[in-house]
Amino acid sequence: MQVNFILNGAHRTFDVQPGEFLLETLRNSNILSVKDGCNESTCGACTVLIDGKPILSCSFLSMRAEGHEILTVDGLQDEVAKISALFSDEGADQCGFCNPGLALTTYALKRELKNPTDEEIKQYLVGNLCRCSGYQSQFKAIKRYVRDEQ
Amino acid sequence: MEAKLYHLATSLEDAHKKLLENPRNVLLGGGLWVKKSTKSAETLIDLTALNLNEIVETEEDIQVGAMVSLRQFEKHPAIRAVYSGFLALATQQIMGVAFRQLATIGGTIAGRFAFSDLLTALVTIDVRLMFYPHKVVSLVDYLEAKGKTTDILTKVIIKKSPGTGYFKKVSNTTLDFAILNVAVLYTNNAYKIAVGARPQGASLAIKASEYLAKIAFPTAEDFANAAEIASEELKFLSTPTGSESYRKTLTCAYVRRGLIEVAKNAG
Repeated sequence: MQVNFILNGAHRTFDVQPGEFLLETLRNSNILSVKDGCNESTCGACTVLIDGKPILSCSFLSMRAEGHEILTVDGLQDEVAKISALFSDEGADQCGFCNPGLALTTYALKRELKNPTDEEIKQYLVGNLCRCSGYQSQFKAIKRYVRDEQ
Repeated sequence: MEAKLYHLATSLEDAHKKLLENPRNVLLGGGLWVKKSTKSAETLIDLTALNLNEIVETEEDIQVGAMVSLRQFEKHPAIRAVYSGFLALATQQIMGVAFRQLATIGGTIAGRFAFSDLLTALVTIDVRLMFYPHKVVSLVDYLEAKGKTTDILTKVIIKKSPGTGYFKKVSNTTLDFAILNVAVLYTNNAYKIAVGARPQGASLAIKASEYLAKIAFPTAEDFANAAEIASEELKFLSTPTGSESYRKTLTCAYVRRGLIEVAKNAG
């Protein structure tokens, strides 16, 4: 079957199986920034944005993307660069595996919540797991990004 | 997930006809549990084109389309306002934002999930379910019914009343299933208590409510007694995440706290 959607600003058509999930479709198209962390709708490493909202691509049927706009970090280079710079500054990078999903969720958070409290930021990020960092350095970096602190 | 076909339904009649064609045809809400539980299907029937994703507030109720996402549900002003926002609170504790963006209220209810946090909160309220073709049942009756249904849930109708609610989910981590969840509601001068993930699904503690109904101005001791009654009348089981006695103890503690809190908030 064919599905048509806008991927990182470009109109694309993909050949997919009926039961295929977006994670597989994207990685088969060499969008390797989207990670297969658990494939169980839990870890958030596969997060992409659909029409600006974060979803788990491992659990989203590719056919459902018809007509929508999908964004990965590859299509958000400027914003991701800002987030990455803050992560580096706070020592929040280790293996980097969780970073693409976390960066997209962070970007969506900033667009959705105005003046979020610390608790609201933490709640929004609950679905992005990190095995390395212990979250504190990431949280500091994300707060700085959300509050436009350089 | 293996599936031979994907079908985007053009109408409820179309979806229903497709569902009846083959017992291996599967309806998709958010699709998260279908992915977990279905190795292979004949046809995946998608309902996303049927405009079932609206929330409409009237004088008497809040009508929630079955394909409304949990994220949409928790953010809606009417849901955040009703019963002091405890439905929104129960929903917010389900996994993360990206998960709730996909999971639907229809899928949550139709699945009758024993672990569901939102179902425990909803059973304390007057909630009716509208199905295609032509059936309206109460949420409590639907949860107690046995066996699969080939009717399609289209709308969840939440009655509005003045009242205040309390919700508590006990789990090892934020992303875990609940070891237990507790909902307490005070509305129309009555206390409703529900406990879920026992591990059995959400159930009302009727005797505890009846006990409190006989008392004009319940005291802290009365609330403690009611919590004890709730922990005795409901059935619990032991699982790797919690023993039967642990769940009973949790029920007693959190029902008591919930009763105290709703009484305080109700003034």
